[in-house]
Amino acid sequence: MKKYIVLGLLAVLGYYLMSIFLLVDFGLPHFAHGVKDVYLSSSKNILKVSNAVTAIVVNFRGFDTLGEVTVLFLSATAMSGILYKKRHDIGERSILFPASSIIRSGAKMLFPSITLLGIYVFIHGHLSPGGGFQGGTIIATGFLLMLLTYQNYSVSHNRLVWVESVAGMLFVIIGLAGYFMKGSFLENVLPVGELNDLFSGGVIGIIYVLVGFKVAAELIGIIYTILHEKG
Amino acid sequence: MVGSPVLFVAIPLLAAFLIPLMGMIWKEFVRIIPGLVLAYMLVLSVSLIIYIQSHGTIVEVISGWGPPVGINLVFSPFSGALTTLMTFLGLLVWLYSHKFKRNVDYEPAKKYFILLMLMVTGSVGMVLTGDLFNMFVFIEIVSISGYGLTSFFVRRDSAEAAFKFLLMGAFASSFLLIGIMIIYTQLGTLNMAEIAQRMPQMDYHMKVFSLIFILVAIGVEAETFPLNGWAPDVYTQAPGPISAAMSGIVVKAAVYANIRIIYTMYDLQGAYEYLLIIGLITFIVAETAALKQERLKRMLAYSSIGQMGLAMIAFGIGTKEGVYAALFLMFSHAIIKSLLFFSGSYLVYNKTSKYIKHVNGMGKYLPITAFLFTLGAFAIIGLPPFMGFWSKLALLSAAADSNLVILVAVILVVSIVEAVYYLRVVNRIFFFKKRANTKPEKPTINAMIAMLSLAAIVLVIGFYPDLVTGLIERAADDLMDKGRYIGEILSKN
Amino acid sequence: MEKYLDILEIAIYGSAVALILIGLYGALTKKSLIKIVLGLSIMDSGIHLMMIALGYLKGGTAPIFSKGFENSADQMVDPIPQALVLTAIVIGFGVTAVALSLVIRLYRHHDTLRIDEIKNLKW
Repeated sequence: MKKYIVLGLLAVLGYYLMSIFLLVDFGLPHFAHGVKDVYLSSSKNILKVSNAVTAIVVNFRGFDTLGEVTVLFLSATAMSGILYKKRHDIGERSILFPASSIIRSGAKMLFPSITLLGIYVFIHGHLSPGGGFQGGTIIATGFLLMLLTYQNYSVSHNRLVWVESVAGMLFVIIGLAGYFMKGSFLENVLPVGELNDLFSGGVIGIIYVLVGFKVAAELIGIIYTILHEKG
Repeated sequence: MVGSPVLFVAIPLLAAFLIPLMGMIWKEFVRIIPGLVLAYMLVLSVSLIIYIQSHGTIVEVISGWGPPVGINLVFSPFSGALTTLMTFLGLLVWLYSHKFKRNVDYEPAKKYFILLMLMVTGSVGMVLTGDLFNMFVFIEIVSISGYGLTSFFVRRDSAEAAFKFLLMGAFASSFLLIGIMIIYTQLGTLNMAEIAQRMPQMDYHMKVFSLIFILVAIGVEAETFPLNGWAPDVYTQAPGPISAAMSGIVVKAAVYANIRIIYTMYDLQGAYEYLLIIGLITFIVAETAALKQERLKRMLAYSSIGQMGLAMIAFGIGTKEGVYAALFLMFSHAIIKSLLFFSGSYLVYNKTSKYIKHVNGMGKYLPITAFLFTLGAFAIIGLPPFMGFWSKLALLSAAADSNLVILVAVILVVSIVEAVYYLRVVNRIFFFKKRANTKPEKPTINAMIAMLSLAAIVLVIGFYPDLVTGLIERAADDLMDKGRYIGEILSKN
Repeated sequence: MEKYLDILEIAIYGSAVALILIGLYGALTKKSLIKIVLGLSIMDSGIHLMMIALGYLKGGTAPIFSKGFENSADQMVDPIPQALVLTAIVIGFGVTAVALSLVIRLYRHHDTLRIDEIKNLKW
């Protein structure tokens, strides 16, 4: 019975959603003077950042990104709070089958290159598609591979806390530097350089590297917490 | 200038990232730093409130891009008054739980205080921000810390309550995203002032759809009927101070968002009637549900929902008197309900089930706590000389001025119901014999200070309501004057 | 080209709406907690797809001024939905992580994942 009620409600919702979207013209400009044009032109001419998405994420709407990093930090904190147990009943890592030797040696070979790819992605976040969140996630997958393959592989919890705290603090401190030197939070305080140069965009590249470190540490922490859950 | 609104967000985040490191040096830092930060936020907001009285609204630009392009924070009389209220309550909640969590291990205590601090920060951010998507981010900060705090006690059914809350919250955030994207595709901007300015260009159907999506989403946090199913469970299962923080801080921020969106962003005529009707249903349903509750905190939760319904009714009247009454109601409800949650948690301290019958005879063993609870109960019913009386009076006179006689009658009748269930508890506290298996627990000195300062506010404002009415009147003026809000923000460019 | 765009419109918006509805259906009717969390994630991805689709421009390029594309700002797709979707994905991830840890806690307490057997509070 409940199923049919839900289906009926969903049909109504789907009809309305579809009728809204069909009113929006697909693939055509929808509005005359959006902020989009300002973003595109100033990210090229003023900030000298070639990836406009990065310019938006880190500079124009950098406050959102600070909030986003906080959301990750919060969910890692909340998670380890929810799953907290007294020290004596922390379980062994639950792996059902030990990995075969092919996977073991393959993981060992892949791990450095995955990490390198992640670092490349977040260092070049302002030049090419990618950035701190993507790079951090890639690095975390490398650690996930290692943690799944080797039963005794472990990451120092203290080191993760250090990385994530220092990276987060530096993000806020760079923001405050903008506030005290230029008068508004997160404003660019460094020279912007040339378009399509590695050292362009002032603090944008630096902030994205910090975000990369922080996201990687956060995700590894989350993975670690879940893997150590006794089944 | 004494400081800037951006510090309300920057300093707590800096502290939150710092706390895990400082905790390695000395464990007490974990408890002390959040208190210092909350105290700093209170000082900052009080000094900014004084500053804006002579200099006008502060519009703080972030990352150097003027309002329609960048994100901005608005410290107006309305948002400033709410910020002061929230930071004050946040500080008291910290004070109350500082010793309360003494028997808890180091790790959970660290998490508790980080989450508490960021919940207050997120609510303040929701109130201050002038950007729609930024508001979404702050709503998520508040909700995620809410999930973590609700499930703080392992021994109760708290995970279940938190999961329920999370389910509602996840639907809400998805709906909010849809609403925001509809607005963005039509108007090409996310700044609330610019959206308000361009709103007449928007297609009528789009306007209605986006408003429905956004109201459903924010209604979950603001406890409007029928989206408030999570609230009673969460209030029952969460630690006592967190229930107070939820009803005093988070819900107030969500109501602010709701009102800012309806009053400032949209120019739809029917929206006020919507507020009136939803508020009325919420009020009646919640107060009658509270009557048959058997658990103390569940009863307080329903009462809290009912009071928010009352505030929405007042906003729905739509006149300046109505807005004034609504703001007064929000203010007095935040103070009184925190007092009730604080003292109520001690009255049923040792029982996990928290039935109302466990308060029997506590008046003899915990005289001060019982007295404070009684004070809060009288104040929230609206007995004269307490604070709740003036706010209810303002609401009734606003309704009478707009010739809504039936509304006045309904509010008075339902208020009798409210009086019945509160007085029932008070009766049990003083005139029943203590049950054999309940053990009274003496409040810690910090909790006592927190409760006494709230009680002092209830009494002082009850006798001298003029202390706050000026502030609330300016806030009401600020909310009603939509053109000035838009002008102040967009002229910053 | 026009006809192709019409089909694409229905396909993309349709699949976004379908994902949202499938996710909602799963979250509302399934009995297993894990499936409910999965439903939430599916709904989130539907919304992300919708957001990206709303920013699409016919024949547009990625909003990146790499060499050779320095002057093509008017042919670029809208970068704002892409930036917003990045934020939305991260937030969705955070919510999913908390949800899964709550599921683990519930399993620890009740030794079951079926929602109709976990009924200490009224649902």
